[in-house]
Amino acid sequence: MDNYYDSLFRLCGFESAEIEEERSRIEATFEKLAIGPGDMDEAEIRVRQYHDVSLEGVRKLLGAWLKELIDLVLAREERKKIVYYGFPAILGPGLMLSASSENVFVSAPDMVLDHTMGQIFNKLTPILEAGEANGLPPGHALCSLWQAKVGGIAKGMIPVPDFALASSYYCDMGSKADDLVTALYGVPIAYIDGVMDSKWGEYPGYLPERVHYLGSQINQALEKAEKVLGIEILPDAWERSRKKSQPFRDNLTRLIEVMKADPVPVSVVELEMLESLSGASTGRGIREGTKAMDILVHELEKRVEAGEGVTEKGAPRVMVRLGHTSDPKITRLIEETGLSVPLTFILGSWGGIKVKLKSNYKTPGEIIADYEMAAGYYYGTEGQVKFYENATKIMKLDGFIAQYLYNCRPVATISHIQKKYLEETTGLPVLSLEIDNFDSRAYSADALRTKVETFAEMLKARKNG
Amino acid sequence: MNALEKLNAHLETRLTELGKAKERGHKVIGYSAGGYLPEELILACDAIPLCFIRSGNNSVLKDSSSYVCRWFDPFWRSQIGLITSGKDPYYNIVDLIVIPITDNHVRVFSNTVGYYTPEIESFVFGVPHVKDKISLDYYQQGIVRLRKKLEEYTGIEITKSRLEQSIDLCNKERELFRTISSIRKSGEFNVKSRDFVALNHGSLLADKETMIDILELFIKEVKENASISQEGPRILFTGSTLAQGDSKVMDIVSDCGGMIVMEEFAEGLRPYWDTVKLEGDLIANLAESYFWDRVCPGWFRPGTERLDFLIKIAKEYNTAGLIWYQLMYRESYKVESYFFPGILKKKTGLPMLVLESEYDAAESGPMKTRIETFIETIKGD
Repeated sequence: MDNYYDSLFRLCGFESAEIEEERSRIEATFEKLAIGPGDMDEAEIRVRQYHDVSLEGVRKLLGAWLKELIDLVLAREERKKIVYYGFPAILGPGLMLSASSENVFVSAPDMVLDHTMGQIFNKLTPILEAGEANGLPPGHALCSLWQAKVGGIAKGMIPVPDFALASSYYCDMGSKADDLVTALYGVPIAYIDGVMDSKWGEYPGYLPERVHYLGSQINQALEKAEKVLGIEILPDAWERSRKKSQPFRDNLTRLIEVMKADPVPVSVVELEMLESLSGASTGRGIREGTKAMDILVHELEKRVEAGEGVTEKGAPRVMVRLGHTSDPKITRLIEETGLSVPLTFILGSWGGIKVKLKSNYKTPGEIIADYEMAAGYYYGTEGQVKFYENATKIMKLDGFIAQYLYNCRPVATISHIQKKYLEETTGLPVLSLEIDNFDSRAYSADALRTKVETFAEMLKARKNG
Repeated sequence: MNALEKLNAHLETRLTELGKAKERGHKVIGYSAGGYLPEELILACDAIPLCFIRSGNNSVLKDSSSYVCRWFDPFWRSQIGLITSGKDPYYNIVDLIVIPITDNHVRVFSNTVGYYTPEIESFVFGVPHVKDKISLDYYQQGIVRLRKKLEEYTGIEITKSRLEQSIDLCNKERELFRTISSIRKSGEFNVKSRDFVALNHGSLLADKETMIDILELFIKEVKENASISQEGPRILFTGSTLAQGDSKVMDIVSDCGGMIVMEEFAEGLRPYWDTVKLEGDLIANLAESYFWDRVCPGWFRPGTERLDFLIKIAKEYNTAGLIWYQLMYRESYKVESYFFPGILKKKTGLPMLVLESEYDAAESGPMKTRIETFIETIKGD
């Protein structure tokens, strides 16, 4: 006989046998998260309303997020050694730790909470409020991902980690919030430090010192992880983790190919689930997500062959930075105004578009660092705006919705430059849109609608002559 | 003329003097606040260092709004407003701007200079956020590049003897600041915080040798003058940035009968606790002193070195409380301000008041109420 959650899990791509196998874990997870029968109707309505569940790949993707949630919530009881990293993060170190031992669970838990407790169950607000009450108060433009992480720990929903990898090469807030978690719970940290100190005009060039410094910091953090977690990272760990994640990158290349079609075959809401999963999970979530992606890309190829899409053919094509992680209504808004989104900055920059490396480094840390400098995301503002520029022709764009996150300083640095730079270099219109990408309480879809609608009308008029 | 009058007179003619120095072929090198630029390198090639420390006026922030959103530290938005508007002659007179990049608030200033004002030549180098051997090396590589840039820019080679002379000069200035700061420990001498801060700010704009004379004169005056008259509670004043022009908190504390006896700020005040060694590799010595020996700002990770330092000086200066003054959106300080009061209380028994500012005049009223209450509370303890 079905339990109250079976229908939701089937909707999210679980096979009946999988539900049976997971039943005790699902129930233990839901107990910790205070999810009960009364939450199911809303969850199903949200999933159907915001996601294209006619696609099996989308259903499986939702399932991959739920599996990551279960593994996260139960990691302590299941005697895993738990490692948290921030989002966004250079993925190599986390993947290497994950590949080194079955007993290590490595994740960006805030993203998992956003995509499940936010997107599916609409129960993120109390978690954010708990984060606000435990050191990250509202009104100071502090990161809402970190509010979710600290709130999740404070409420006992997710375990206190055994170790933290701090993204000290990108985000000041993240490393300081790791300090907060250490002050509150005594968690050891490895700070992977770097400095985005290239002068404007240098990109795509960068000093070898930057690669060496960041690379050495990565190597040092891995050594510390070995000591703290009592694991051994084998010399081939980087190669093995690369091989493990290769199918995802291969699928990403296929996905970007199908997204070149007009009309685009799938909503950016689903792209968001993919891009975030690759940045949040190093374990079952991403393994299942890669399988889901395989199914999804195949389904999308069929749609393209049939000339089917989610927006009208000829709709203006815009690139956005990223989709909303906890409230798909905001991402949906863009397509509701008649725009199609073939690419997000995050998706493209995380492996979809090839980069040319500068040098042949030997250590895993330096190899990772060299790639990240060349790719541009962790290089700095100039690397990021040039990535947008490069995507213009590849995806045949008509404009940009260049979001900047008011509560994410590394992204907020781009607030004004990206509009001026892209308008001047591409000649395309740019909507600079201030958002909170992880929390829709202050920056809701309704608050953003007028700006996006007006921009969409202008783009349509421009495109139709 | 007393020392502070002499400083004011010097600063009144400083811009004119800088203009004349430029005519004589000297370069004026502007640099961003934070204490990570070794002025010794600039002095060693006969150039003139000038630190960007002016701020505290909300109207300047409006000038920055064409270049960056509001969610950055107002000090750094002010720097953007000042450099782009051309309203402050100190920012217009420089030939080259050097920006040691510490956190993303400084990086946004660097981006603005690089992208929006390409006509102003700039040079950037990074300051890591952790202290270990590789981060020290990285910082040193940055100042090695800076040395090369300055030599090319000025056409003067920074020889060992030139660098020794400039280190010696800067060591003397730091030593004088240490002397002034340290004599406040006893409570016997009358050194007002506002005067100490004015001297410190002045030193970031003034001619180095003139400044040393002024500091020596100040110490002489302090020792000759009457001992301290104010009886209010002794306060340690700390935070991210104390700009020239941002005296609101100091004024209110004084008005409310409190006495700031020590200041610890990452930006705006010159670090003065360390001496650069004159033996061996001088560039390595500069890196060691400016990066390694210096107590790190709040955006270092972890920030425990600074927090331990605050506990140490709170005790050494015999303080009754700590005022933590942070600027809005400087997340490193905001996060630390949540958990540090508990640590401070546990280790010293002292209370801490957290104040925040966006350089808005409307803040003064609520700030005064909070400071008054804080001072009354510690008076009663």
